[in-house]
Amino acid sequence: MRSITKLSLVVAALVLTGTALQAQSNNASITATASVQTPISVVGAQQLNFGNAFPGVNKTVAAADLTNAGRFDVTGQANAGVTLSFTLPATLSSGSNTLPIDSYAGIRADNSSQTSGIGLVPGASNAAGLSATGLLFVWVGARVTPATNQAQGTYTGTITMTVVY
Amino acid sequence: MNRESWIVIGAMLLGVPLLAQGKPLTVTGIRGVTFGAVLPGVPRVVLRTDPANSGQFDIKGPKGNVLLSFVLPLTMTGPAGAQMPLTFGSSDAGYSQTQAIGSQVGFDPKQPFTATIPNNGSASVFVGATANPAANQRAGGYTATIILNVTVLP
Repeated sequence: MRSITKLSLVVAALVLTGTALQAQSNNASITATASVQTPISVVGAQQLNFGNAFPGVNKTVAAADLTNAGRFDVTGQANAGVTLSFTLPATLSSGSNTLPIDSYAGIRADNSSQTSGIGLVPGASNAAGLSATGLLFVWVGARVTPATNQAQGTYTGTITMTVVY
Repeated sequence: MNRESWIVIGAMLLGVPLLAQGKPLTVTGIRGVTFGAVLPGVPRVVLRTDPANSGQFDIKGPKGNVLLSFVLPLTMTGPAGAQMPLTFGSSDAGYSQTQAIGSQVGFDPKQPFTATIPNNGSASVFVGATANPAANQRAGGYTATIILNVTVLP
């Protein structure tokens, strides 16, 4: 093969090889960021206490009763909105005996003194907000209606409050 | 013209296309995906059409087809090594030939996607995602890295 032909074919081979090697590829990265806020904590701080009740005599504990109303203490992210939901018993029990309970009422405030408290009707969904320090206090009152032949005894029940962001 | 001359000219012509493809390919990360404040137990979604919080890459290169592929994190890492799941939906990425967030073709960032760089050699890719904090997710800052690979197709 003549030298010029050989040289040309080598050049062509190098050119063809060079084309395959120069496919372009590149990349870049970005960052995803998030700031997870403080989880919610709920504590049953005080029981709803009716004290002594008499057969046939209804007894009410007001939500504003700082001593006897039930109280939940909530902590979480400052200034966050939350939803409260309650599970409320219809009766209190003493063994096989039951005592009706009804007329639930509530108050929420951002301090334990109930200053500037806001009334609420405890139910399936109550909107509320945490304070600038991430606090919320919720009081619950109700009424028991003992029958005239209500059996003597200590009656108890469970009130549950759930809090979500 | 003799045979040798034709062969030499052919070799030189083969070299010409290389010069025409000389425009370099660059990929630039413009903006990260910003979830902001995330509440434990509450998923946080950032849409690819969110002008402030979606991620954005800008591409410059030769006109023609390119293959886009992401390297996506499964979690974000936070304080004391806490992990928060991160998910990408089937339409959480978008390609825009006009580099406009309001003009995108959506695609699944979990799958390679073929796109076309227009005549002006510029395009953009936008990305969204969902952060999935647990109810007891540790509070604090979380981060993750999203990588976009771009390859010019022949």
